[in-house]
Amino acid sequence: MKQIEEQTYYEILEVNPHATAKEIQRAYENAKETYHRDSLAIYSLFSEEEVNKIQAAIEESYRVLVDEASRKIYDQSHLQISDGPKWEQPVEVQAISPKKKAPLSFTDLSINAGEEIYRGKTLREIRERIGIDLKAISTETKISTKYLEWIEEEALEKLPAAVYLKGFLKSYAQSLGLDPQKVVEGYFKFLSENRKDRSSL
Amino acid sequence: MIWTIGGGKGGSGKSFITANIGICLSKLGVRVILIDADLGGANLHTLLGISPPALSLSDFMKRRVSNLCDILIPTSIPNLQLLSGAQDLLNASDAKSVQKRKLLRAIQGLEADTTIVDLGAGNSLSVLDFFLMSDGGIMVVTPEPTAIENTYRFLKSAFYRRLRQSVSSYPVKNLIDGAMDRKNEMNIQNPHDLIKAVRRIDEEDAERIIEEVESFHPNLILNQVRSKKDIEIGFSIRSACQRYFGIHLHYLGYVVYDQEVSHSIRRRRPLVLENARSRAAQCITEIASKLANSHPMSLRI
Repeated sequence: MKQIEEQTYYEILEVNPHATAKEIQRAYENAKETYHRDSLAIYSLFSEEEVNKIQAAIEESYRVLVDEASRKIYDQSHLQISDGPKWEQPVEVQAISPKKKAPLSFTDLSINAGEEIYRGKTLREIRERIGIDLKAISTETKISTKYLEWIEEEALEKLPAAVYLKGFLKSYAQSLGLDPQKVVEGYFKFLSENRKDRSSL
Repeated sequence: MIWTIGGGKGGSGKSFITANIGICLSKLGVRVILIDADLGGANLHTLLGISPPALSLSDFMKRRVSNLCDILIPTSIPNLQLLSGAQDLLNASDAKSVQKRKLLRAIQGLEADTTIVDLGAGNSLSVLDFFLMSDGGIMVVTPEPTAIENTYRFLKSAFYRRLRQSVSSYPVKNLIDGAMDRKNEMNIQNPHDLIKAVRRIDEEDAERIIEEVESFHPNLILNQVRSKKDIEIGFSIRSACQRYFGIHLHYLGYVVYDQEVSHSIRRRRPLVLENARSRAAQCITEIASKLANSHPMSLRI
């Protein structure tokens, strides 16, 4: 039973010390959602001071672990991977119905608590932090790299019709472990704001 | 195996879930006894479509019946028996502790593969003791701030009561009583602070408390979920419990909001029998399978 100050960054983000960058990204977004000030799950349990402390620890853990170089240094100084922190996969709900392709499966979801707009630049930053190249995304999603580049470059005039763009964004978001709905909403919000700015010029 | 189904708030669906999980388990070949221990507001029989039984727990508690087996009611569902709650005893929820201990012992002595005890709402000592005496305590909560607030209140009460029962020294027991109040003079704000304070009084009790914390694994069912976000709240509650209490809460699953639930209750026909293909019934079946798998040796298929 450790206090947050005594936990490793992996324990704070509730990920395995062997987690991939994508898993760390997802864990971070889950943690942000859980310990968001308006989160139902912490309602009445923690004081404001405790929430601030947890949020700061989550941000610091993510900052270090998402960057390959700083993670390596951290691992060397803080972890003995062989007997690292006790870790348990969040299996309970999936175990209920292993056969069913759960439309509401936890692992298929990721959350973004903030009001962040998922513009192309943001998606590229997340992808690069995770360390996946566009070609891999293209293979996984069957979306041409050209379209993926245009999405990231925010090449508005080259983007396909909204109905296709939504589909592309959903697949792209899933491959990054992000919440597809939030990415679509965020990207379209960005597009609409951008259009407003242009028309006001 | 004794499961208790509780949680702080009335109306969260404890009785509905108890009845339907019990039926699912009995259909799997598990010998099930359902006990309505909501001593102030028993209505499990109604959910099972049974008229108010002539004999109930109050007969046992008032010593009109000496053996709990004598008030077991068979149901039309094979492998499923009901032990009805107190019907005619307005103050049954205030039963004396001697009576409650006697009842606890009698429940533990019942012959069944699985006993599921439907607890009443609230944090009374009877409810907490029933919850803690079981092999697995299950909290049912709806994704609403009021329900979650009450659930945490319930969990805190059960948690501290369990710790209190585990320690031997009276100064430590008093410390735990004090810790329940967040405005306590000792500035104990959470279980971490409590352990530090106990360690200053009695090292052995501090170790006992840590052991208790590590072995306390309550379970959670989210009821009436309407969105993916609602489902995720279960995982977030699990994370929050780990961080606050240091306990590992099992998220057993969720039951979706479904109009079929209220239809089945109005018809006094259990959902899993009336409409087994409904979304809520499927969720309950999945949860029941999980419970059955937790003790596969008792399956009699």
